[in-house]
This record gives sequence, structure tokens and C-alpha cells, in this order.
Amino acid sequence: MAAESQKPWRKGTRRPESEEPLQCVGQQLAEPGKFAYAALWGISLASLFPGPEDSSYRTEVIERLVKWLELSEAVLPAMLAFAGGLGGEGTDTFVQILLKEPALSENPKNITQDLVAFSLKDGSYDARLRVLLAHVTWLLRIPPVELEAAEERLLECLNEEEEEESETAEASRKKKERRRRLKRYLLIGLATVGGGTVIGLTGGLAAPLVAAGAAAIIGSAGAAALGSVAGIAVMASLFGAAGAGLTGYKMKKRVGAIEEFEFLPLTEGKQLHITVAITGWLSTGKFGSFTAPWSSLLHSKEQYCLAWESKYLMELGNALDSLWNGLVNMVAQEALKYTVLAGIVTALTWPASLLTVASVIDNPWGVCLHRSAEVGKHLAQILLSRQQGRRPVTLIGFSLGARVIYFCLREMAKEKDCKGIIEDVVLLGAPVEGDAKSWKPFTKVVAGKIINGYCRGDWLLSFVYRTSSVQLSVAGLQPVTLDDRRMVNVDLSSVVSGHLDYMKQMDTILKAVGVKTKQCRLEEGGTLAVLSNKTAESQAVALHDDAPAEPSMRQEEDEDTVHIAPWSWEPVPSQELCPGDSAQGLGSELRENSQAQEQQNRPGQEEPFTTDASDSSHHSQTTDHATCAIDPLSPSSR
Amino acid sequence: MDEDILTTLKILIIGESGVGKSSLLLRFTDDTFDPELAATIGVDFKVKTISVDGNKAKLAIWDTAGQERFRTLTPSYYRGAQGVILVYDVTRRDTFAKLDNWLTELETYCTRNDIVKMLVGNKIDKENREVDRNEGLKFARKHSMLFIEASAKTCDGVQCAFEELVEKIIQTPGLWESESQNRGVKLSNHEEGYRGGCGGYCSML
Repeated sequence: MAAESQKPWRKGTRRPESEEPLQCVGQQLAEPGKFAYAALWGISLASLFPGPEDSSYRTEVIERLVKWLELSEAVLPAMLAFAGGLGGEGTDTFVQILLKEPALSENPKNITQDLVAFSLKDGSYDARLRVLLAHVTWLLRIPPVELEAAEERLLECLNEEEEEESETAEASRKKKERRRRLKRYLLIGLATVGGGTVIGLTGGLAAPLVAAGAAAIIGSAGAAALGSVAGIAVMASLFGAAGAGLTGYKMKKRVGAIEEFEFLPLTEGKQLHITVAITGWLSTGKFGSFTAPWSSLLHSKEQYCLAWESKYLMELGNALDSLWNGLVNMVAQEALKYTVLAGIVTALTWPASLLTVASVIDNPWGVCLHRSAEVGKHLAQILLSRQQGRRPVTLIGFSLGARVIYFCLREMAKEKDCKGIIEDVVLLGAPVEGDAKSWKPFTKVVAGKIINGYCRGDWLLSFVYRTSSVQLSVAGLQPVTLDDRRMVNVDLSSVVSGHLDYMKQMDTILKAVGVKTKQCRLEEGGTLAVLSNKTAESQAVALHDDAPAEPSMRQEEDEDTVHIAPWSWEPVPSQELCPGDSAQGLGSELRENSQAQEQQNRPGQEEPFTTDASDSSHHSQTTDHATCAIDPLSPSSR
Repeated sequence: MDEDILTTLKILIIGESGVGKSSLLLRFTDDTFDPELAATIGVDFKVKTISVDGNKAKLAIWDTAGQERFRTLTPSYYRGAQGVILVYDVTRRDTFAKLDNWLTELETYCTRNDIVKMLVGNKIDKENREVDRNEGLKFARKHSMLFIEASAKTCDGVQCAFEELVEKIIQTPGLWESESQNRGVKLSNHEEGYRGGCGGYCSML
């Protein structure tokens, strides 16, 4: 359905000059339209945040929205009833009414600008609001790209410096004029809060955005300075708020047992939502840096990578490598056989030869296990203090990085004001408890999705957990059976053949769980590029950055294949592995897996899977939730 | 408190603009009357718990806007309603004449065919009556509806209208018993029997 409706929008994105979507679209609507609009929000609130603990938030949003739309207060009881879960049957009617409105009938995506402006009007962007926004746009059959584009436009018109030189004088004048009006409209909310409070409220990484906005308030003299890093510092000192953001965050002194904790920028851009990626270990060579596994990640234009305890992660990486590289080759295959067949049965007996080398891995693993928990707690404190600004954060991590996230969420859940900060979390191969009870508190913290990517045949995880009989269920090995709309389990068994693949196959994994990568940005890029040249620029820059690095990476890949070849998983015949139990799916998975590996080993072949579509359909077979995982986050489903 | 509530019923109030739908509801829920009540925007919503024959029922009442411009919104409320109150103004014949339209709309959008309907002739306190009580009664009987004349201003018949409606709904088990609260055997022709004999006229005045 989305696909067929996509065309007109694609076409519509090249905005005719005559069109003026600048007034508050929401306020232009006729009363029934406004009513339907507010009702849609109410229904969305009810379906996304139905819990009694969220009722005050629902009321707050509804009240703000009614005010924003200039609707009479008389509608509040009905709206609150909608938000309370009643009247959801009317969704379709409301959508139809709204889309028939003259302001929207030709260009439904106009509403997204209004949605974003509403969400930001108080100078902070709540993660829950962003999830709601996505839901409302989805109800209105507007592609999610439009939402990002709308955010982009807002950011752009706050950053007036970013004018395109390539345009003709007249066009640029017109554009400027349009911008100015749009900006005024968008700044209404910000301005009412007052410059000082704005920076105080948003602080952190949002500083550049607000700085540009505040420039309009405090006069253009300071505008140039405000754009620069120094300017931000000035702003910060002016308004007494930390404006340096995550990259500026340095551990002043050793916090607890943590020795290293730093945010490295992954991408250059600025966006209204950010992504923080957390690496699980470091290995020598190609994956020697924290940023290396995330080279293809492009979930948002502003991304950071958490650098933590490199010393210990490097040790762990070396241990993993030595374990991997032939030392226990035979035994590992033996172990794999057991694990694939029996899952992580507690009675699993590990081959004696493997146990003799256990110390190689056990020590660094234990150290990192402990440290990741500490780092997670520290990360929680940083996010809670809004060093990143008041905007949604998505956390993605694999292996011990996922454990960092786990402890971060656990820590955040203890705090009262933990809501509305985290949008989505993606935990891949997480070495943490997998029982629903310990994941339950996360629903309070996370507004969007909690994605658990697991692999049933991850022998390393089951091996390191062999002694801890308490933790019978490990999240990285099996789905977390938490009954909540947020919880999404993605079976990565067909993509990941062992724990080390979380690093090597990150690109494929990210696609499988529905996180945006550079490639899928390019695919949808047609829309984005036209909408904002800035986007295209930053993408281009990002790609250029990548380009020179690629050849060398490929070389290393070649070397890798040589390394792995003598004992890779491929030789394990799939027939031998599937005697009946959950047989067919597993067999086909393995076969597909080895195919994928073959393809992967071919140098220069970046994409093991031919299409996303086949990928997603496969996952929908293996996991119930896989399809929904792919639906909202990934562009592949459209 | 919630435990002894038998069921929650969705009640809908429809009718032409200005016939006094919101006033009826306001009288029923808050026992007040405002002659200057503003036109409803979209829909209004009120909850009230009432006790009928010892059974407590929570009423979720959706009071729709009568104005033409909000007419597009109305279809969304019909779904899942167990009872509907159709209101006309006894001093305005045109509101009575439009009843047929409302019934058609009800048929079109209502998801259950055994929905209980109640016809209310409002504003009987006024002098300039245009629609006779018998006319209303005849119309109601023709369309198997309950009937009552009422006045939101003087409080006449308002309570009775809602009570009658709820009583009727509760007597029609298939209507309100959801699958989750199935109480024993469901007699399939039970509801059929009730459909025909919709003659529970509430004689006021």
C-alpha cells in the first residue's frame, strides 16, 4: 500500500515555487479536520503508550495539541477518551477526513512539517513524540522518509547560513523568503520559551540548532560566531548550559572503575535525533578501531561511537581471535553441532579440549563483562543529564556493546525522568539475561523498539556462559519473551554463524534488523537529496570518506578469507546437522548461511544477500516478530 | 469499585443540530442545564455509571455534533455501539422529518444489527410544539425503537430515557456480553426473540 502511494509523493517532493506550506498546516484545517487530526494523535497515543503509568503523558500531549490546533477545550473529554483507548474504531474515518482537507489533499506530506513543528515547539524533542509522529505519519500513509525530510527542513531553516550558492539569484531570494517565513513559524514555539531557556532546555548537542535559532533573537551580529564550535561555547557560557555535547564529553576523572569513556563522531551531520553505536570488542587489523564495524551505519546523520576500555576490549579481541584461529578448530565444530542442535541446553557437555583453553577467554571476558556494566551505568548518567541535548537517542550495540546498553537501560529505568530520551535500542548477540522479567523495566525507558538480535548457534556465547547455571537464558542466544509492542526479536541465525560475525557482518545484520545503512539511504536518497542539498552533501561526503578506504579494506577481507578458510563453518554439512527436530528451517538456514558465506568470501562482493525482500521474508518465517521489526525501522519493507 | 460493574456500554447520541443532544447528556451526567450551550465540536464524551435492576453498567456516551460540517466524522463513532439515542426537537418539525436520514445512516455504519434504539422528543417544556407525541410514538413503533418525550431543561424523562435504554441492552445478552465475559450458555434464538418485541414504550405524561 505504501508502495503504490509513494509515487505521487516522490514527484511532489520537488516543490513547485508557488506552493506555500508555511503557515501552520494544522491551524489551516477546518474544524472537522482539526478534530480528526487530534483524534488520530489520541488513538496513536492509546495504541503506543497504553499503560496507566503513561496516562499523565497522554493528557499532556493531548492538551498541548488541542492548544496548538486552536481547538476548543470542549473537545478535551473526547480526545482524552481517544487517548484512553476508546473509539479506536474511527481511525480510518479520521485518516480519510484529514486527507480530504484542502490543505492536504494535494500534498499529504505537508502535515509532517506541522507534526514536527508541534513536537519541537517547546525546544525539546521527546523520543516518545518522535515515535508517535512516526505512527501518525504511518496512519496517514506518508512514507517515513518524509518525516526525516521535515525534520531536516526545520533544522535547515534554523541554520540559515547554509544557503546554496548554486542557485540563481531569484530562486535563492524566493527560497530565502520562504525559509524566513517558515523559520518564523517554527520559531514561534522556541521564541516563546525565550533564548535563554531554550539553550538551557536543549543544551548539549542541540546547541548548534538552538544557537542558530537564538541568533534570530539576539541579532545577526553573533550569528556567525554561534555557528562555530567556539560560538557554541560562548552560547554555553552565556546561558550557563553545557553546549559541548557528546564529543566534548571527557571523563574529568576516573569514574568508578572506568578507565576510558569517550564519544567519537561517526558522521559529520547534525540531526534532530542521534544514534550511538557501541562496539563489543576490538581486534587487530581491519577491526582495530571502535568505529570500524559501523562504517555502513547511517541510521541518522548524526552518529557517535562510544570508545570504552580499549585496553581490555583489545585483550578480549585477541583472545577471541586466538580461540577462533584454529586453536580449537575441531572442537569448536563439535561444539557447534551441539549448540545448533540443542540450542543452549544446560546439560551441554563441552569437549574437554575446549575446556583446557577456557582460561584464554574466560579471564578477559570476565573483566569486560564487569566493565561493560560499569560503562553502561555511566552512559545512563550521561544520557539522563541530557549531554546529547533534548532529542531522541537510538542505541545500537553488539556483544559486550549490547551489554553496555542493557546496563544503561537498567540504570535509567531506576530514575524517574528516564522517559522520552531513548527512541530505539538494538542489542545484537547480547551477553545478558534473556528472561522477560529483567527486560520489563526497559519498556519504561524506551519509546520505540527494543530489538534483540540473537543467534541460536552462537557457540561462543553459550561457551562463556557454560558455568553460570543461573543464567539459563541468554538474550543473545534466544528470543526474549517479553509481551510488549516494543519488544522485537530477530533471529539472525542465518546471517551470523558465530559470535565474531557480529563484527564482520554488521552491514548485513543492520539491514536484517531494520537499521538504516548507507546503502538504503542511497536508495531512498532520491527524495532526500532533492529536499535538501545538505543531505546530499553530507551523504556525498560520507561516501567520499569511505571510498578511498574501500580498496584496502577489501584487501584485508581477502586476507581474512585466507585466514578463516582452513576451518570455516562451511564444511559442516547441513544434512548432518538437522535430524528432525526443528529441522527444515534450520537446515535451510544453514544452507543459506553457507551460501551467504561463499558470496561474502568473494572479494569485492559487498552484499551477501541479493535483496532485502528475500531477507525479510526469510525472517518472518523464522521469527514471528521479524516482519514487524523490519516494518517501521527499515525502508526495505516499503 | 470496578468489580461490581456488569459491563461497559457504548451509547451514541445522534440527531439534527440544535435539538438538545448535549443538553440531554449534560442533564443526565451532571444534572445541570445551560441554555447557552455552545455547539459541539466533533464529538463529546462522558462516562457515567448507572444501576438498572441491581446491575451496574458503565456508560461510555459519545455525544455527536449535529452540525453538517461535522457529519463526516460521525461514521467513526457508530462502530461497536450497543445503544443509540436519536433525538429530535418537538418544536421543530424539520428535525423530526430528518429522522429517516438518521436511521439510514445508522443502518449504514452500525456494526451490529441488534443495536438498541431510543427515540427522544426533546424540549417538551416549550410552548410551540410542532410534533405531536403520537406522531413520535408511531414513528418509533414503526422502526422498532423505544420512545420517550423529554426536556433537558425541566429534567423530564431524561433519566428514564437512559435507564430504559440500558435495561433493554442488558436484556439482550448477545449485545453486551463479550467473548471474554461469557457467562455460560448462549441461547442463539434468545436475541432473536427480543428483536421482534421492541415495544417497551415508556409512557411519560
